[in-house]
Amino acid sequence: MPPTKNARARRRTLRQILGGVRRRVRRAAGGARSVWRRSLQLQVVTSTLVISVTVVVVLGAFLFDQINRSVLESSRQSSVSEAFADRLQIEDALTPKSDDQSKPSDAGGAPSGNPLDDVMDTVTGSGEDGSKKRYDVLILNPAVPGQSRASGNVVPENIPLTLRLNLQRNGKTVAYIDRVRFPGQSLPRLTFVVGGLVHEPVTGQTYQIYHLFPLDEEEQLLSNVRLAIVVVGLGLVLLLAAIAYLVTRQVVTPVRLARQAAERLAAGKLDERLKVRGEDDLARLANSFNEMAANLALKIHQLEELSQVQRQFVSDVSHELRTPLTTVRMAADLLYDAREDFDPMAARSAELMQAQLERFESMLADLLEISRYDAGAATLDLDPVDVRDVVLRAIADSEALAERHATRFELRLPNEPCMAEIDNRRVERILRNLLFNAIEHGEGRDIVVTVGADRDAVAVAVRDHGIGLKTGEETMVFDRFWRADPSRARTIGGTGLGLAISREDATLHGGWLQAWGQPGEGSQFRLTLPRVAGADLKGSPLPLVPPEIEMRRTWRGHMTPVLLPATGDGAGHDEG
Amino acid sequence: MTRARRLGVRLAVAAAVACAGSGCAVIPVGGPSIVNDAGGGDPLSKPFQRMIATPPQPTWDAEQVVRGLQAAMAAYDDDPATLPLYLTPEARAAWKPTGTVTVIDDAFQVTYADDREADAGEERKVSIKARQIATIGDDDAYVPSPGPAPEKDFTLVKTDKGYRVDKLPDGLLLTSSDVARAYRGTNLYYLNGVSQDRLVVDRVWLRVRPTESFARTIVERLLKEPSAGLRGAVTTGFPPGTKVDSVRVGEEDRVVISLSGPLYLTKPDALMAQLKLSLNKNGMAIGRTIEVQVNGEPFASADRDLDQGWTDNGGNTPFYTDREGALHVLTDDGSGVTVPGAAGQPNPGFRYFALAKQTSGLVAAMTSTGISITTLTQEGRWQQVIQGDPDKLTPPTWHRDGSLWTYDRKNGVVLRYDPQSGRGPERVAAPKLQGLDVTQLRIARDGVRVAVMTGRNTVQVGALTGGAAGYMLANFHLLTTVEVGGEILDIAWGDGEHVLVLVKSKAGQSLREINVGDGETVQLPLKDKLTYLAALGERILAAADTDKGTQILELNQDHQSWTARLEATRPLFPLS
Repeated sequence: MPPTKNARARRRTLRQILGGVRRRVRRAAGGARSVWRRSLQLQVVTSTLVISVTVVVVLGAFLFDQINRSVLESSRQSSVSEAFADRLQIEDALTPKSDDQSKPSDAGGAPSGNPLDDVMDTVTGSGEDGSKKRYDVLILNPAVPGQSRASGNVVPENIPLTLRLNLQRNGKTVAYIDRVRFPGQSLPRLTFVVGGLVHEPVTGQTYQIYHLFPLDEEEQLLSNVRLAIVVVGLGLVLLLAAIAYLVTRQVVTPVRLARQAAERLAAGKLDERLKVRGEDDLARLANSFNEMAANLALKIHQLEELSQVQRQFVSDVSHELRTPLTTVRMAADLLYDAREDFDPMAARSAELMQAQLERFESMLADLLEISRYDAGAATLDLDPVDVRDVVLRAIADSEALAERHATRFELRLPNEPCMAEIDNRRVERILRNLLFNAIEHGEGRDIVVTVGADRDAVAVAVRDHGIGLKTGEETMVFDRFWRADPSRARTIGGTGLGLAISREDATLHGGWLQAWGQPGEGSQFRLTLPRVAGADLKGSPLPLVPPEIEMRRTWRGHMTPVLLPATGDGAGHDEG
Repeated sequence: MTRARRLGVRLAVAAAVACAGSGCAVIPVGGPSIVNDAGGGDPLSKPFQRMIATPPQPTWDAEQVVRGLQAAMAAYDDDPATLPLYLTPEARAAWKPTGTVTVIDDAFQVTYADDREADAGEERKVSIKARQIATIGDDDAYVPSPGPAPEKDFTLVKTDKGYRVDKLPDGLLLTSSDVARAYRGTNLYYLNGVSQDRLVVDRVWLRVRPTESFARTIVERLLKEPSAGLRGAVTTGFPPGTKVDSVRVGEEDRVVISLSGPLYLTKPDALMAQLKLSLNKNGMAIGRTIEVQVNGEPFASADRDLDQGWTDNGGNTPFYTDREGALHVLTDDGSGVTVPGAAGQPNPGFRYFALAKQTSGLVAAMTSTGISITTLTQEGRWQQVIQGDPDKLTPPTWHRDGSLWTYDRKNGVVLRYDPQSGRGPERVAAPKLQGLDVTQLRIARDGVRVAVMTGRNTVQVGALTGGAAGYMLANFHLLTTVEVGGEILDIAWGDGEHVLVLVKSKAGQSLREINVGDGETVQLPLKDKLTYLAALGERILAAADTDKGTQILELNQDHQSWTARLEATRPLFPLS
């Protein structure tokens, strides 16, 4: 069904576009959120802006409403009273006078035939000396011919229909504000229309009287007021934002300086201090910070000295122990050589002493080595070496021990030489340590030694299938004198310093030494070294987690299949 | 620190006092400040009221429908949509609103041709009976036509919606109230024919249009021809094809008149004088600078004051003749100063003195052999210029161009003598005066209008047409007449607009001031028996036979009473 497919494709495209947009928006929002979270100044200015806008809008609306109401109300009042006065005048004029003959006409001019004309002249100011009124008047009496009048250019269509109907229905004075377009004018004008009725008692006629008051001036006034309020409000908001910006800058700038100083202090620059200006709270904060930094530096200095003294003590003790130990050794060697002449008890003691003395010696050697590292005196003797040869030599050294434990080595070496600039002796020592360790904890099962290489680095992984490591022990194995099970005896005479020294050796090369282990699955140690000494490592050619374990995990679906060497390296990177 | 705090406190107190003293007051007290005086009201229009036409009601009888139709006619120019509602479709097609507007008395009567009530579909004949007051022609001239109007007959048809008018006379029928409401008597100013140095007033009645300012209506009318009474006698400063774009109030309260047309051909002075006087004399743009723009560019502007030359009357000094026929100047303190030369000497037998323009210093008088003139200098000697029987010649009258005019009743011709030409008197065509008994000929001070008394009971007003090619007296129309038994004693031009007519009837004497444009008549009060008149603008002098002898009286400013000035036989002003 191609259409469905098409539709689906289109939908997918749409979804993709939407997804893209959403991603981008989310990214922008994330960026904004992070900027917002990081800048106190932005937060203060923004909240000031929001609050002041709210306040200004509410106040402005209230103010404008008040002004609007008072202006319109006063105009309304005066208009309604003027309209009322006019209606009274019209009513008076339309009512026939009983003493009409005796009363002389108004001085305004000759009276015309219709009283409506006369009163309109008076009301609209269209008489002889009349002046223009500000409003227009419409008198409607559709029931009688010729009894409707208007001033100006008002026509009956200008009266809002609802007003007319309302007036005719209720008979009460009504008012209406509407935009009225008078004939001959292009734009409608805002007009206040007042409608009222006048009854002529004799003939019973009813006149509708409409007054049209222009509200142009009021509208102009109010729009000016509104403009002024908007401009002033906007100015006020901007002013407040500027004030908030300046004020927070005064506070935030020293805080920012303090943060930078703290960061530098944390990075080890212990002589970092803040400038103290004035006596305010921020100055006191700076003072306290400086005091804290000084105390911290003092303490660190003391601790460093103490550590130095300790290291020196260990080194000194090791050196001092060697001389008596040599003497003891010579004596022990004599005893050992002559053990066959002793009774079995003494002979056994001589053997024991010999063995423990060897262990003591190697421990002393390790201690001296470690103290050299601590003193920073360890140096590398670099040579370009094929790592495969180093591995083979280390295995050869371990063969005897392996045979004793009935352990076999499985070697996985690449065909090409794996050349690297390394200190032959130290790397061999690392590998020997790893192999001894694997034999010791391998419980007689096979030990797999893998060598891998890529453009930048070479790696050696030593895998055993022993009891493995518990969670968290991957790092602790490199601690000095650490032991997985304190009750277990050291069978091959390890000093407890081997892995620690190995790690220092790897670090000295700029490489990594990492461990992986699971209870019941055995463990794997991986040594990664840069091909060129001192180059930064970006990854390892071999995975830290053995491939078969990884595969099993994938099948169980516990993890994503993408567990590449880099991932493991990333985890180990921090430790390295 | 303390000093700074004290300073701060002082500043705060000063600010609080300043705020309480001025800024926080609702309306601060202060001044004086310069304010702009202009802007009082709308300078371009005057308030007016209009008839509003209402549609016919089904309940109306035939009379009410006819009255409603008349009201719709009054509103027809503003609202042409309502009137057709009164008409049947046939009448709508046949009736023409254009043509002469008939003005009738307010109290018109509607009479039925028969008494019976019409049934549906039947006709009803109705006529309007009223006194006709005037007509308003196409040229906007208001022509009084007293007397009963011919009956206007209407045929109505009863339809299911009530009566509708089926037959009616063409043209609009307005009552005098309608005219008073919707029309404004308006003075337009044109240029006199030949010299074009003085303005001539033309009285027209313009309809107020609600959608445009009255000033614009005036200017638009000014661009058209004058009314029939001045046609051919006056010219205008506006070239043909000039149009009004807008009339509005511009910056600095100037009245800006935007024109378009070939105005670059014309001199701005005359045009501006026409505009200025036409607006100001009708109460528009008073006290404001008038600016004319042509195609958006400033063309000319007229300040508040008009150059007096445009309304020059040829001198405003009053003169009088005494019993001996000597000419004197009437001074302000009421005494007389004898003029130099022959005119100041006793001239027994000299009558009907007439003064030319004061600058030319000429005086004419009727002698027993004709008409003689002299100059008002020491060397002045009488010189006969027109010969004839004094009973067959009308009293001499001077034109503002310096020529002397009279009507030769013997030959029935108008004679014109120009002292500067050196020739004898020449004849001027006056076809309309053929066969009439012309007893007085008076040329107005504007040099255009001519008043003619025929017989002893009729005054006609005409105009001097023709210009340089050859003068002609034409455009005559009746101004006033007296009933049988009465007679007109004297006539005099007041200003270019009004003629004073002294009438003697059975009831006694009366003095009428008649507007030559629309026949509007004002009766001036009389106390003594007047014999001769002289007038200049508002100033009216008369010779009266009182119990103290023949005296010169002057009408007071209030136009209610007369003041005796001195003993003399005849007053006179220059020209007329």
